[in-house]
Amino acid sequence: MSQRETTRRVDAIRAGSSELENHLIDEYDAGHISRRDFVRRGTVIGMSVPIIGFLASACGTGKKTSTGGASTGTAVQAGGKEVQVRPGGTLKLGMSPGPTTEIDPIKVADEGGLGVMSQSGEFLSWSDNKLQLQPRLAESWKPNADGSVWTFKIRQGVKFHDGTTMTANDVASSMNALSDPKNGSNALSTFAGVLSKDSAKAVDDSTVTFELDGPNGNFPYLVSSDNYNALIVPASFSGKWEKTFPGTGPWKMERYTPNSGISYVKNADYWDKSRVPKLDRQEVKFYPKEQAQILAMQSGEVDVLVHFSPTGGRALLNDPNITVIELRSSVHREVHMRNDKAPFNDKRVRQAMALAVDRKALVNGLFGGKADIGNDSPFAPVFPTTDKSVPQREQDLAKAKALMQEAGVNGASVELNTWDGFELSDLAQLLQTYGQKIGLRLTPNVTDAGTYYGDAVFGKSPWLDSTMGITDYGHRGVPNLFLTAQLTSKGVWNAAHFRNPTYDGLVKEYVQALDIGAQRAAAKKIQVLLLDETPNIYPYFYFFLTSTKKNVGNVEVSAMGHYDITKAGFTTGS
Amino acid sequence: MAKFIAKRVALGLITLFLLSVLVFFMANVLPGNVGRRVLGPFASPQAVAALNHQLGTDQPLVTQYVDQMKGYLKGDMGTTVATRQPVSDVLWPALWRSAKLAILAFIIVVPLSILGGVYAALHEGSLRDRVITVGGLSAAAVPDFVWAVVLLIVFSLGLGLLPSTAAFPDGSGVLTQVKYLLLPAFCLVFVLFGYIARMARAGTIESLDADYTRTAVIKGLPQRAVLRRHVLRNSLLPTIAVIATQVGYLMGGLVVIELIFNYQGIGQMIFRAATQKDFPSLEAAVLVVGVVFLVSTLIADILYSVLNPRVRLGGAES
Repeated sequence: MSQRETTRRVDAIRAGSSELENHLIDEYDAGHISRRDFVRRGTVIGMSVPIIGFLASACGTGKKTSTGGASTGTAVQAGGKEVQVRPGGTLKLGMSPGPTTEIDPIKVADEGGLGVMSQSGEFLSWSDNKLQLQPRLAESWKPNADGSVWTFKIRQGVKFHDGTTMTANDVASSMNALSDPKNGSNALSTFAGVLSKDSAKAVDDSTVTFELDGPNGNFPYLVSSDNYNALIVPASFSGKWEKTFPGTGPWKMERYTPNSGISYVKNADYWDKSRVPKLDRQEVKFYPKEQAQILAMQSGEVDVLVHFSPTGGRALLNDPNITVIELRSSVHREVHMRNDKAPFNDKRVRQAMALAVDRKALVNGLFGGKADIGNDSPFAPVFPTTDKSVPQREQDLAKAKALMQEAGVNGASVELNTWDGFELSDLAQLLQTYGQKIGLRLTPNVTDAGTYYGDAVFGKSPWLDSTMGITDYGHRGVPNLFLTAQLTSKGVWNAAHFRNPTYDGLVKEYVQALDIGAQRAAAKKIQVLLLDETPNIYPYFYFFLTSTKKNVGNVEVSAMGHYDITKAGFTTGS
Repeated sequence: MAKFIAKRVALGLITLFLLSVLVFFMANVLPGNVGRRVLGPFASPQAVAALNHQLGTDQPLVTQYVDQMKGYLKGDMGTTVATRQPVSDVLWPALWRSAKLAILAFIIVVPLSILGGVYAALHEGSLRDRVITVGGLSAAAVPDFVWAVVLLIVFSLGLGLLPSTAAFPDGSGVLTQVKYLLLPAFCLVFVLFGYIARMARAGTIESLDADYTRTAVIKGLPQRAVLRRHVLRNSLLPTIAVIATQVGYLMGGLVVIELIFNYQGIGQMIFRAATQKDFPSLEAAVLVVGVVFLVSTLIADILYSVLNPRVRLGGAES
């Protein structure tokens, strides 16, 4: 295409684009954001994928920006490019622990449940392994001028597995079921202050509008696969989803045995012909303990492990017969320090504790290097809005001791609460060692998860009431939920009891911002403020690891726990 | 005999009642609530309250317990909290799977250990005797999960002869099922061999020294006949009782083995129910294991009585 034709097409696209879209194009054209961020943000505000692809080539300067994100990819080693696979066959997958509760889109809360649910069910969009939104049951989406109303165009001609046609009414009904408090949906935490009951309306058969409680620049993520409850189910859904797994997805449930496994057959009538599975079947086995699934992978009984931990699956990392797919993620540990209780009511003590931590040693020791170092805010390196110009906090024992002296705290005793899962008890012991170095006597109190979380409300939960504790958080594609629930004055998971009006205002600014420049500006202010106040320590964000046999190709996963094997299969020649 | 059985059954029912009370109330004093456990720590309080209401776990404990017992009397074990299936749909297949593993283990260990014990007794004090007794004891001293890891490394990962899981595919034939169950069964064989062989050895040595054996030898019976008719018949009585009491352990106490080999038996069901605060499943599974224990010990007593006419149970000698 000639330069003149390119310019003509760019002008034509600009003429038909909203102010918000043009602003994003300007930012990219001026080199303020990277190509990856342009693509990612373009998908969020609803630009069509072909247009994004064209503009990314036509407008970008290709130069990397100082605020960066260019390296904030997600696929550290995404298994390479698409490879040739043989059609047909059955892929065997292992999952630990598998679904632990009834599989119900409204209530599901565990990785196993969401992983199997999203094989036969689908979302409005798919948050892929680069955190870009791929249209699925929504063809496109647009915000109004301030981002308080979002309009989704619903794909036509899509059928549920039982043959009924999926319409905008099914979409509105699925979303309203999630936002209605009487249904006790697990998405209520995500939708709090964003989407109220009956706010999704089917305007016609192909259009759904969401009238939000306030402007929200990342709303499409909250109704994408990133919010695993936001599966589109028939409006007639009765609440017994796992009987038939009703959905529109590329796989049809063949047989499901709770606690044991599930098998699927390909949906040959799937609406997107480019994603009709190449395999005939998939069988998923559930393993209650991680070691059992690691053994199954090593002995060749399964072809793929959807997810294994760096701590439990070290044997797989160097196995020449196995390919490991690594995804950067926002999975993290929050070490809270009660800002309203001694000794942590003095921010110098909180800063000192954070300065005592050797993050590189933690990442190497606990995860064999398979984690990003945290900088004491929920802004993980994986998020495109994270401002990487904010200086990284490093271990500095001299400064930490000086701060403790200034604060007049020496030999204080604090109970450090956590539960006996993942690497949490190891981290507690290591924090105890770091505390000793600056005169803080931390006593780990490791209980079972039920004891630690208690009733998960203030006054009835060691997690939310203790002076110090370590809490495990899963992946999210955007930091909104972490920023609001963990740290705002009214945050329901604010274990640090951090109350800071400036912070609350900045988070509001961040959430409402529609363009990436404004989001990044707010993010920087938040990061700087949290680094100074240090309500919590965020030591690392560890990778999501998947393993496949060498002869298996094209397995895609998201750090949320979803997996996509529509293009997967056994490589030719194997 | 009938009086004895009736008395034992009555005592068994009282034991089961006490067991049900203990399990229910002890499990309920553990911190955390059911709805929170099912939905996870990050679910909203409204969601948790709604689920607890739906499950009935917001009712007073006594009401919950009475409702559960009423259900049992009607043959309804309730619904699992986590996966919302009828408990009976999970329990009976799990019990049957555990039974399959137990049967295979018994088929291997009973003849092997009895032969070993009798052979050791016949060669008392020799090197062969020491190898069997010390070897058996050493094997029994190693925990079953250690055997599991060793066997997995050698036969599954190393030699690739046997699968690393006991979860045989649906619709497998008997031979395939045996192949999948061999490794966990051998873990149990190692644990039980020493114990049963020792009992068999001790009983055989005692019988060999008995007057009736000496008489049989003196009256000129061939050695094989002496062994079969007089020694083994008497020596195996305590062994049979010991074997019967192991049924309860094999049917409910294999939590770790079932977890390592990913086998959906009753041990794994109890583990899962306990960690998920799934009280209906926990209660039902523990009670069924309790019944298995009671029945197997009762059968052991009856067998002992039948095989040994000198023993008359429950004062029936009058």
